[in-house]
Amino acid sequence: MAEGGTISSQRRKALFVLLTPITLLLGAFFLIPLGIMVVYSFLEPGLYGGVVWSFYPYNYGRIFGWPLGGGEEFEPLYIQIILNSLYYAALTVIVTLVVCYPVAFWVSRMGPMAKNIVLFAITLPFFANLLVRIYAWLLLLRPTGAVNTALMSLGLIDQPLNMIFTEFAVIVGLVYVLTPFMFLPIYASVERLDWSLVQASQDLGATPFQTFRRVILPLTAPGIAGGCVIVFIPALGNFIVPSFLGGSKVQMTGNVIERQFLQARNWPFGSTLAMIVMASVLLLVLAYTLWMRRAANNERLAGAGHV
Amino acid sequence: MKWLKNIALTGAALMALAAGPAQAAGELHLYNWGDYINPEIIDKFSREYDVKVSLDTYSTNEEMLAKIQAGATGYDLVWPSVHMADIMVQLGLVEESKINQSKGFENIDPGALRAKQDPKADFCLPYAWGPVGIFYNKTVAGQDFKSWKDLFDYAAKNPGRVTLLDDLRETLGIGLIMNGKSVNTRDPADIKLAEEFILKQKPNIAAFRYDVIPLIEGGDMAASHYYVGGVLYVNKRPNDLGFVIPEEGATMYQENVCMLKTAPNKDNAKLFMEFLLRPEIAAQNSTMLTNGVVNKAALELLPPELKNNPAINPPPEVRAKLQIFEDLGADLKVYDRAWSRIKAN
Repeated sequence: MAEGGTISSQRRKALFVLLTPITLLLGAFFLIPLGIMVVYSFLEPGLYGGVVWSFYPYNYGRIFGWPLGGGEEFEPLYIQIILNSLYYAALTVIVTLVVCYPVAFWVSRMGPMAKNIVLFAITLPFFANLLVRIYAWLLLLRPTGAVNTALMSLGLIDQPLNMIFTEFAVIVGLVYVLTPFMFLPIYASVERLDWSLVQASQDLGATPFQTFRRVILPLTAPGIAGGCVIVFIPALGNFIVPSFLGGSKVQMTGNVIERQFLQARNWPFGSTLAMIVMASVLLLVLAYTLWMRRAANNERLAGAGHV
Repeated sequence: MKWLKNIALTGAALMALAAGPAQAAGELHLYNWGDYINPEIIDKFSREYDVKVSLDTYSTNEEMLAKIQAGATGYDLVWPSVHMADIMVQLGLVEESKINQSKGFENIDPGALRAKQDPKADFCLPYAWGPVGIFYNKTVAGQDFKSWKDLFDYAAKNPGRVTLLDDLRETLGIGLIMNGKSVNTRDPADIKLAEEFILKQKPNIAAFRYDVIPLIEGGDMAASHYYVGGVLYVNKRPNDLGFVIPEEGATMYQENVCMLKTAPNKDNAKLFMEFLLRPEIAAQNSTMLTNGVVNKAALELLPPELKNNPAINPPPEVRAKLQIFEDLGADLKVYDRAWSRIKAN
């Protein structure tokens, strides 16, 4: 017992030493800026940017459309913009999921060499700067770009298609940027999939659809859920893709936040909008964690039942 | 005797080393917009006065103000737009340079003394100005543009080939001009009219965007709401490209050079301001920037394609239709909300 105690206290010490740097790092570069934002969201905007140090509770009200006097009317404009962002983020999740799910099965069945090459290819874009990659899409999708030139020389169209600066281009950009984040967690869960369970289900007379719905889907669900969460979060806060590929005609919350700091000189309102985005992300992560915990508990109970 | 020669050489080298930093103690730190000064004139100044010059850049007035207000020291000269120069003088950030008593100041166009807080240029030196108009590709559009109406008529017939600036005051400014209102109005009803005007055009507009030069040059877009700097590209390909100040009127910008109160090298800063007053230097600068010139003597030295360009050197009746932005303080919120509505719908 005593020995066990020393080991665990040693392990605790080691854990403490290992965790201290990351805790300090997160504290300095994440919590302090976050704290500044929380404080700013309750302050009055300075006339020329910055803040005035007096309590100002109206920033949150403005998001929900409450009029602030000065001829303003009730208008849920910012709610509409947030809903619009949610729509784009959800669409990105759906498209990346539809693309990545079958590909993950295909890759998991490859030989080890081919598998490594594909995984390397999927992580390769991270080596190039995001802005450069998005600019490349601008060059591809513009009227005189590669896609239009190819389609026209094939005789499929005689006028260039308007692809750049559309909703389509925004979705293409978001899907392109976030696909690896969907693929990797799904791939990890597919790789761990126990194929003997799939065979058992087939032996017991399940149709292919039943096998998928009752065996494959539940076993890969954690990967799907994980992928959806890590694609949804950056998609929701993205402002580069809508402004580059959407021609700033498509507006997501990130663009409004950027404008509050750079053009509208309203740092507190920008901070407030950022807090709202973060709150919705936190709710999502909370739901995901609770769901995972319940799934893990169910599994344990099911395992205990068999014994 | 060889050792003696070696010692002498080493000594000379050491003395040169010691003298080096002493000479380089003359420093000047500029904080300017990106691509808003001809690097050749910085080199010239540096060589003539043996001053080491550094240049940092910003992309909005607010960015510069925020940095200076946050206590950034070390900069000597900044290039605020006129309304921002007014704010900075009011906030006590600008040093009284007395540039108006320097030789060559008599060449400055009195019309360029636009700062309300500094009507006699006791503080800041007018630097350059320019209109914001239409930059277009004649070959792609198959026509010239003369007015905002031309631009929007073209866009209605060819949706997705015209861009406007992603700038709330510039673009709502077109809506105000088209309704015959001041671009500095604080009346929510006027701003509403401008919002409705831009919103009506939005389906035909390809994008709200600053970075349009490659798109116009390459023929992806036919016409863009853009700054007079586009003339640089027009002069390279005058048969394909064009820039025009629209007939209905347009907005204009002007920047002034201001010496900061916190400037560590005030003497060199004043020298640089006086250097900018020399007509040949001002002309060399403007030739690269293709901006409007505030120095009457420099205007005469410009190459003919700039001097006779109606966008760079517009006739008085066109100048009369150009409006400069004033700071709106807290009323900017009304514009911001209108702009958010335009973007959301």
